[in-house]
Amino acid sequence: MTFNDHYETFDGLRVVEFPLEGPLPEVTGPVAWRVAHWDVGDEAEGRVSAEFTAVLDRFVDLAGAETTHLVIGAWGYAAVNVAPLEHFAALAPRLPRLRALFFGDVTFDECEISWMKVGDVSRLLAAYPALEVLRVRGGEEFGFSPVRHERLRDLAVESGGLPKVFLDAVLASELPALTGLELWLGVEDYGGDITPADLASILAGSAFPGLRRLGLRNAEHANAIAAAVAGAPVVQQLAELALSMGTFDDEGVGALLAGQPLTHLDALDLHFHFMTGEGSASIVAALPGVRVDVSDPQLTGGPHAGRRYTKVSE
Amino acid sequence: MRLTVVGNPANRRVRSFTEAALAAGLDRPAVLPWRDVLAGAAPPESGLLRIDSPGEDAEVDVLLRGPGARAARDGEILGFAAAHAGMVAAATRIASGGAEPLNDPADIAVLCDKRDCHARLAAAGIPVPEALPPVHGYAQLRAAMAEARWSRVFVKPAHGSSASGVLALAVAPGGRIRAVTPVELTPDGLFNSLRLSAYTTEAEVATIVDRLAPDGLHVERWLPKATLGDRVVDLRVVVIAGRPTHAVVRSSRSPLTNLHLGNARGDLAALRAAAGPAAWSAAMATCERVAARFPGSLHVGVDLMFLSGWRRHAVAEVNAFGDLIPGVLSEGGRDTYAEEIHALVSGRWRACVR
Repeated sequence: MTFNDHYETFDGLRVVEFPLEGPLPEVTGPVAWRVAHWDVGDEAEGRVSAEFTAVLDRFVDLAGAETTHLVIGAWGYAAVNVAPLEHFAALAPRLPRLRALFFGDVTFDECEISWMKVGDVSRLLAAYPALEVLRVRGGEEFGFSPVRHERLRDLAVESGGLPKVFLDAVLASELPALTGLELWLGVEDYGGDITPADLASILAGSAFPGLRRLGLRNAEHANAIAAAVAGAPVVQQLAELALSMGTFDDEGVGALLAGQPLTHLDALDLHFHFMTGEGSASIVAALPGVRVDVSDPQLTGGPHAGRRYTKVSE
Repeated sequence: MRLTVVGNPANRRVRSFTEAALAAGLDRPAVLPWRDVLAGAAPPESGLLRIDSPGEDAEVDVLLRGPGARAARDGEILGFAAAHAGMVAAATRIASGGAEPLNDPADIAVLCDKRDCHARLAAAGIPVPEALPPVHGYAQLRAAMAEARWSRVFVKPAHGSSASGVLALAVAPGGRIRAVTPVELTPDGLFNSLRLSAYTTEAEVATIVDRLAPDGLHVERWLPKATLGDRVVDLRVVVIAGRPTHAVVRSSRSPLTNLHLGNARGDLAALRAAAGPAAWSAAMATCERVAARFPGSLHVGVDLMFLSGWRRHAVAEVNAFGDLIPGVLSEGGRDTYAEEIHALVSGRWRACVR
């Protein structure tokens, strides 16, 4: 999945768009509703789009009581209209069954990701103590404050450049139920300044003892991340590891293969990479029984030959 | 049925159309090279006249731009307005001898001017992205964007083809700016690249826009497209004799979906499924309405986008020479050229216009 997606499924449920007009569409079985409104005239700087919140309120009126899964897309022009975090937090009593939230499903065609004004997303956890899955995407003014949250099982942070201060606040949080953590590290040009050393407590397994799924994705220095992961104690407790969407190449393969055994993994996600054919074949061959995703090779000799970039760096 | 094709003889467009005519048992069409047309060749006096693209030929490009024009360097953006004027004048002259044009030069003139084409579609109530009033430079562009309160626009040379010279321009408070474009800015001039660049300084963007502006600009609001998987998608729909017969999905991880920019053809079945039958039918009806605004054209190529959320669609461009989509077949199993020939032979084309 990338920034370019509007996720077609979220936490295993089909995503269904909430229409701007008319009744709630009839659906069979549980779905994840998607609420978005990019086409707004009120591009007043620093304001929440009243047009977006009107759509969100109408959704909550119609379906709030039953909704378990929710995807929040464009809230106006996200480079100008700030994310309606407080408004969303205030809706918590009317979304009593919400368990999985994706806040920020905005594509590059709707807003430059690095320009998205999101704010401190830990506010969402404070407002929704029963939340189990939180996925957030952001660029500018993308922050987190240490929280304690008893139920959060999966946290995913998507960014073209994740700052260390964000990571530090996540690490200072108490998330006893956390089994899945996905961080999109991004590039330095867009504020991504996290080094492998900053990830030490995650890699040691001490930050989140229950961790079973770890993604360190979209990394400008993916080989260095891979080298750090290769010797990291946390790996033995993982079922799924993702080092995808970054600049991972044959050097990263070498680092992984020289490290601890990975054959206990269920899945190793390396898609969008710069491995040679031999490199990707060798990692697949070395891990029988592991689902190794080496799709979307970038060393194609195509128009971008020679350049190395993460999948999402804008 | 005697057919004459104005085109560049070595171009695959001419070859493919010729093959389609022969395959249908017609006589080999006479090919009237653009360079001869531009050198003053006599117009055909009877039969049917197909006018195809003068593009992809450097010598023809110089001739189109008229006396004193210099040759464009590879990829150079040069003299779009003059080339357009030259093409329209030559097409008009060559269609004036008595042969019946399969694409009316008056239609070509409008189709190859994005401002005129947009105005014609908008006047007919066809969904198009809103456009800014005429702008003649960067400062005026920004003022008009501010006036309209738009932060995201496509800036297009009025007479460009493919994505030539097009900028996907986004701005945000604090002076932030980002333009994604195939344009390469060099001290020597502007060039189209097969690779997109992102310009993030106002000075660079202003320079590009100001260099493009003298040949005319058309600026539309940038509407976010629907997505399939990890790519935005739009459609090229070829409408032949009034009916949408061929469609190809263009998918991209950038705002520009043109297939020569490293983008991929997408999955039409997946797009139709995502859009749903009602939205698909509405989009095809729009394509028919577009073609009906160009009744003198046997074919038009409509670039149609579903907007983010799939509920609405809009026409991004209409192409006079938009029928080159190799390998895509109609429901009847014909490629675009065979379908055009079929429309002529079966009488569907004449039935359509008369």
